[in-house]
Amino acid sequence: MGEGKPLSKKKNILFCVISIVLLVILLFPLFWILVTSLKTEQEIFQNPPTLFPHILNLASYAAQIETGDFNMFRSFANSLVISTGATLIAVVLAVPASYAIAKYHFKGRNAMLLGFLVTQMLPVSVLLTPMFIMMKNLGLYNTWGAAILADATIGIPFSVLILKNYFSSIPKELEEAAYIDGCNRFTAFLRILIPIAKPGVVVCAIFSFLYAWGDLAYGMTFIIDQKKRPMTAGIFNFMGQYGTKWSYLTAFAVVSIIPVALIFIFMQKYIVSGMTSGAVKG
Amino acid sequence: MKTISRRDFLRGAAASTAAFVMGGSMTALADDSTQEVSIWYYWETESHQVALDQVISDFNASQSDYVVTAEYVPYADFTKQLSIGAVASELPDMVIIDSPDHASYAEMGIFADLTEKFDLSNYYQGTIDSCTIDGILYGVPFGVNCLSLFYNVDMMEAAGCEVPTTWDELLEVVQALTTDSVNGLAFSSVQNEEGTFNFLPWLWSTGADTYDINSEGGIKALTYVQQLIETGVMSTECINWTQGDVMNQFISGNVAMMINGPWQIPTMQSEAPDLNWDVALIPMDSEYASCLGGENYAVISGGNEDGALAFLTYATADEQVKYLMDEFGYISADQTIAENQFDEDSKYNLFVEELEYAKARGPLADWPSVSDAISLAFNEVITGTATPEEAAAEAQATIDGIIG
Amino acid sequence: MKAIKKFFRYDNIGLLFALPAFLYMLIFVGYPIASNLVLSFQNVTVKNLVNGEKLFVGLQNYIELLQDSVFKRSFINTLVFTVACLVFQFLIGFALAVFFNKKFRIAKPVRGLLMMPWMIPITVTALIFKFIFATDVGILNYFLKSMSLIKENIEWLTTPSTAMVALVCANVWIGIPFNMILISTGLTTIPQELYESAQVDGVTKVQSFWRITIPMLRPTIESVLILGFIYTFKVYDLVYVMTGGGPVNTTHMLSTYSYKLSFEMFKYSKGSAVANILLVVLLIVGSFYLKITMKGEEN
Repeated sequence: MGEGKPLSKKKNILFCVISIVLLVILLFPLFWILVTSLKTEQEIFQNPPTLFPHILNLASYAAQIETGDFNMFRSFANSLVISTGATLIAVVLAVPASYAIAKYHFKGRNAMLLGFLVTQMLPVSVLLTPMFIMMKNLGLYNTWGAAILADATIGIPFSVLILKNYFSSIPKELEEAAYIDGCNRFTAFLRILIPIAKPGVVVCAIFSFLYAWGDLAYGMTFIIDQKKRPMTAGIFNFMGQYGTKWSYLTAFAVVSIIPVALIFIFMQKYIVSGMTSGAVKG
Repeated sequence: MKTISRRDFLRGAAASTAAFVMGGSMTALADDSTQEVSIWYYWETESHQVALDQVISDFNASQSDYVVTAEYVPYADFTKQLSIGAVASELPDMVIIDSPDHASYAEMGIFADLTEKFDLSNYYQGTIDSCTIDGILYGVPFGVNCLSLFYNVDMMEAAGCEVPTTWDELLEVVQALTTDSVNGLAFSSVQNEEGTFNFLPWLWSTGADTYDINSEGGIKALTYVQQLIETGVMSTECINWTQGDVMNQFISGNVAMMINGPWQIPTMQSEAPDLNWDVALIPMDSEYASCLGGENYAVISGGNEDGALAFLTYATADEQVKYLMDEFGYISADQTIAENQFDEDSKYNLFVEELEYAKARGPLADWPSVSDAISLAFNEVITGTATPEEAAAEAQATIDGIIG
Repeated sequence: MKAIKKFFRYDNIGLLFALPAFLYMLIFVGYPIASNLVLSFQNVTVKNLVNGEKLFVGLQNYIELLQDSVFKRSFINTLVFTVACLVFQFLIGFALAVFFNKKFRIAKPVRGLLMMPWMIPITVTALIFKFIFATDVGILNYFLKSMSLIKENIEWLTTPSTAMVALVCANVWIGIPFNMILISTGLTTIPQELYESAQVDGVTKVQSFWRITIPMLRPTIESVLILGFIYTFKVYDLVYVMTGGGPVNTTHMLSTYSYKLSFEMFKYSKGSAVANILLVVLLIVGSFYLKITMKGEEN
């Protein structure tokens, strides 16, 4: 393995070329979404297909600003609130839980671990009815809160299982050193362990965020008011009983990806720096 | 040029009322006499939503007892949302639903009895049947549509074909129209209600009954579909095409003829204004046949029934019906309106004619299961996984198990 | 005595850390699971959903399912689909993680871009792949034809076997970034010194991959595979949108069939029973995973 060592110039170029080829192949479907969104509905169905739009059609983008009750910017804000809320709950609950499972052999630990696994095993469709009744009883029906609480249930078990590995890879000596320095269990956890497991925490936060961001079932079922619905629900404005409006749908997809992609590319830098700072080496 | 109608005036009034309500929402809410009435519907087409919203805001402006609000619930989610809502007692006051689903929802016991509350004597019988269970009226038809044959006039002329009226003629014509890049015919054959809707005209045209698919007529209809596929005039991809996809294939010139409904016409005219097309009755085997589609209003029992009824009475008055039907590309369920609804040269008139041959599905609480069996049968035939005889026998066994 | 006391205090604190998350999941998901279990032993259909008596029918729904050919097919499909997806997305994800772990100039930004498939709502992904795999207007057939790999268009989504291939392709595409980033993160936890000292001992790169990378990554690999299994096994949106379970019910998965029974055919209890069978399979896989991780920790 060549980690840490800079590559020779030749290899560097070779790898760059390979990575670009990979990028082109793997991201082709995204390119295809973009191209399709710039075509007219008629050209989309042309046989054989055209690789680039013959007539540049930007009308599909203009239509994204306001379609009926559905407002792109408002739904983006809704998604942001819901995903952020769900991520916060997931991280705050999952980080201590995964630490405990990794480091403490308390009674019922295995059962609990199995519990975390089980809770994410049922398909969403059968959870909807009972969860709906609970949300209604909590007075959260038709509010962001319902979607936040529900979406957090996707992120928590996932984060616990991933972070558990991070915490178990941290040497005991580090923790013990902290106790000698006068830390108790909680302060050691907060000051020493969390910073070390930071890359893992960031990854879990991102995954929780993306799960919540991509969620459709909870957001659509628990929030009936168009004005409070997440962005994903907008897909249904172009997909319905009488068929799919492809140009609008793809334009919607492109517009909805851009802001997340920006957030993500920014975070990527952060993850990488977290990873390479290699706290585990200590 | 139109003169300023009452509608336009009300539109303005509605806007100013809305502004007032927004500005003074505290007073509006504090007013106990104003009750909210909520409606769920599933039309994703923007023009449909705008038209419905218009009628609603007109209604809200016309009186001060009720404020109606409508929520869009996607079609794919409608059954789920209604089932869950029924269990959790969290339903709107009114719904606008697909007519074949009406019986199932009524069976849930969530709809109010509307018998004797509306005069439906001028309505098409099929539409009344779709909301009547055991002699009790559980809804009011919103509007109807049915399927007809669309054809590309230029392609027909180039191939030197006449408009077909029988199955034999149709097969000849679509074969002549089929080329390397063009399929002669297409109709949505998705394995769900949409596909069943498109298959039933063929079944009924043989004189066969819906619940008697393993009959001479049933097998004949399936065999005809098999022929369409085997001769290459129809693509097997029809099993993945919704009616909207079929329309897109048609306006893109990939398909010369299609079975589709009048609600596609506004889209076709705006997307492909230069396309030269026309409509005709679906060619017949032994009798003309089409399938009746459309939506019904239903009032939720235990909700704000008075408010829902007040809105329903308003929305089913002639003026509102005409406005809605025109905006939707639908035909009024009220025969007296339907017959004078369109200009003489309008292509919609063919659909009014086709309506005379259109039959309703069900009504049956277990219709979704029957429909599933039927759509499985023609999908098996199209994909070649079963012969028409096998598919018919299998479907019949399922249907017999449901009807008993 | 002192040691025992200390040991217990240690344990209790662990419980304190873990309990909030556990209770949260118990309330929001545990209860629905229990209520779903009850529903599967009843006879709830459209007729008694709201009013009417809900009878306890024991295992009847399960027994009926065993005679249901679509159910059997869905069960096998789910297994085949899951295994096929796991193999491909794991191998490709692993290879990409190792590749992008090298320090070449554009490694980081390219790896970041490769995460993009993850950000698209699955519904959109499913639609796009449905479009790519379309017979006549699909770009895939167009490419294959222009490279002379095929003569006639392949009817991807209307033939049972190829429809499954298309579903696997789409799901692998979504799954690759998931595998890649988790393995990438795992790779960074391997101390660099291990490789350095191995090199000093004259161990080749291939050997150090098998002797250092793989064993050190084992917990990560196990998590990635098990989570991948769970998320793939209950796949829903993708299949629902791409094939709807068709052609002729040949690509139904347990989850799509459960949904169809519950919310399209109003057979709520039967739909629950299908979901519970799915749960049982995942439980077995889950406990198997627990067993091996526990064993790993003891060593």
